Amino acid sequence: MHLTEDQRDAMQEIANIAMGQAGSLLAELLGNFVNLSVPRIKVLALAQVGPAIRDMVGGDVEVTAVRQSFQGYLKGEALVIYGHNGCKELGDLLGYDGTVEHAEETELLLDVSNILVGACLGGIVDQIKNAIEVEGNTELGFSAPSLMAERVPADALIDPDKLSWTHALLLEVNFTLEGRNFISHLCMLMPEHSIEKMRSILDQFIESL
Amino acid sequence: MSEPTQAIHLPDFIVEWVDVGVFVVNRNMEVTLWNRFMSNHSGLDADAVVGRNLFDCFPDLPKAWLSKKVQGVFLLRNFAFTSWEQRPYLFRFPHNRPITGGVDHMYQNCTFMPVKGASGEVDSVCVTLFDATDVGISQTELKKAMARLAESSNRDGLTGIYNRRYLEQRLSAEFDRCRRYRDHFSFVLFDLDHFKRINDTYGHLAGDEVLCVVSRRIDELLRSVDVMARYGGEEFGVILPATAMQSARILAERIRLVIEREPVEYKGIPIPVTASIGIAEFEAAAPSHEHLIRCADVALYHAKASGRNRVACYAPELEAAAPPA
Repeated sequence: MHLTEDQRDAMQEIANIAMGQAGSLLAELLGNFVNLSVPRIKVLALAQVGPAIRDMVGGDVEVTAVRQSFQGYLKGEALVIYGHNGCKELGDLLGYDGTVEHAEETELLLDVSNILVGACLGGIVDQIKNAIEVEGNTELGFSAPSLMAERVPADALIDPDKLSWTHALLLEVNFTLEGRNFISHLCMLMPEHSIEKMRSILDQFIESL
Repeated sequence: MSEPTQAIHLPDFIVEWVDVGVFVVNRNMEVTLWNRFMSNHSGLDADAVVGRNLFDCFPDLPKAWLSKKVQGVFLLRNFAFTSWEQRPYLFRFPHNRPITGGVDHMYQNCTFMPVKGASGEVDSVCVTLFDATDVGISQTELKKAMARLAESSNRDGLTGIYNRRYLEQRLSAEFDRCRRYRDHFSFVLFDLDHFKRINDTYGHLAGDEVLCVVSRRIDELLRSVDVMARYGGEEFGVILPATAMQSARILAERIRLVIEREPVEYKGIPIPVTASIGIAEFEAAAPSHEHLIRCADVALYHAKASGRNRVACYAPELEAAAPPA
């Protein structure tokens, strides 16, 4: 189930460019410098995802996570994971004013997550579309994002018993806004057949180079 | 589309009549499509809205927020969403449940979709608006019921004050909080003296009345942050946040007095009641909140052993005389 080294490199390249684009779009939207880290990519068995997320956020901290499913020729769920500092500071950036109430904070988290997931996945899909011929409809559809967990220990976020995915493509992106204490992590969970699809797309991508 | 001589264009028909709000705005926030659902609920027909700026037609809309939301869709070419749970409605529409509602307006879930023109660029944004009132009402009722259930599972059935389960839960939380933030609190444990004698002499109903009256009297002495619970049969516990032993002692003395001062009256019969009280203060070095209960219990034992109707503060030297834990 693991990616070959070539496939990993190709995925890395696609993700790098996609994140660069996502970063500049987000910067334009938020009117603020956005720093998106170079994504780290892993294919993990579900049991390893919990510990990986724990490492990602830096150990025993409480996290809040938003989930959003995507459908199309790639299917899966994207998780956006936030450290305990949350994102109160983002309020004014997205057109909220005054103090941030709980409902507004949640709405903000959902909004930011939706933007991150859409920009990142959209970027990846665009890269693939530009490089190779994909049969059928290349647009992904998104369902409304929802709050998955609020202030839970990082390793309690993923309960392998409650998820039907067996493997996950973990695309780890750190997202910081200049001058603002805000870091989030993006994680894409895809079922086996979608990862399989991804692998064949990556092979085509490599051939096209 | 309503011209009888023309064949019905099915997609147009569906958009017009589907029981979901559908409207489209361009980059200038001018409305280019407004379906029947939107007309019916807003009271403004497509003729009155199409071609006009959305905010001119509906000055009540949250302009700054909505503009930014729509701009984001243009820019990112990405779907966007709102949920009734965070933002109950976009448009202030009445809902279809005027009798059984209990909510003021139609709850709405909205999806904002980028519409690409022939050039492939996004030239407008289509918004769908789902009536989520039914879901909202049942969810709200469910939440209320869950809250009531949680509340009643924390209460003592007889006195209505908190029960032991809740007390221990709060004690544990307060213990952790004080340890983390280097704060302090005290825990008071008290017991009605010779309660069995009251039951035997005046009957169990009289005993119940004593428990109720005593908890009401003490409740009036407490601050809103204090937590009083029925710990056992005639035993009560009180958590006093941010309170040192000396202040807790003053309050405990007032508790003792308010119980002793006036007999509890049951069916015209005055029943004299007194209480013995033990106090323990939070110590960061203590292994757990159970240890604090044990210390209060040692102090309470001492108060009883010294003749009852008195307050005792925990001190390590009291341990020697206390029964084993």
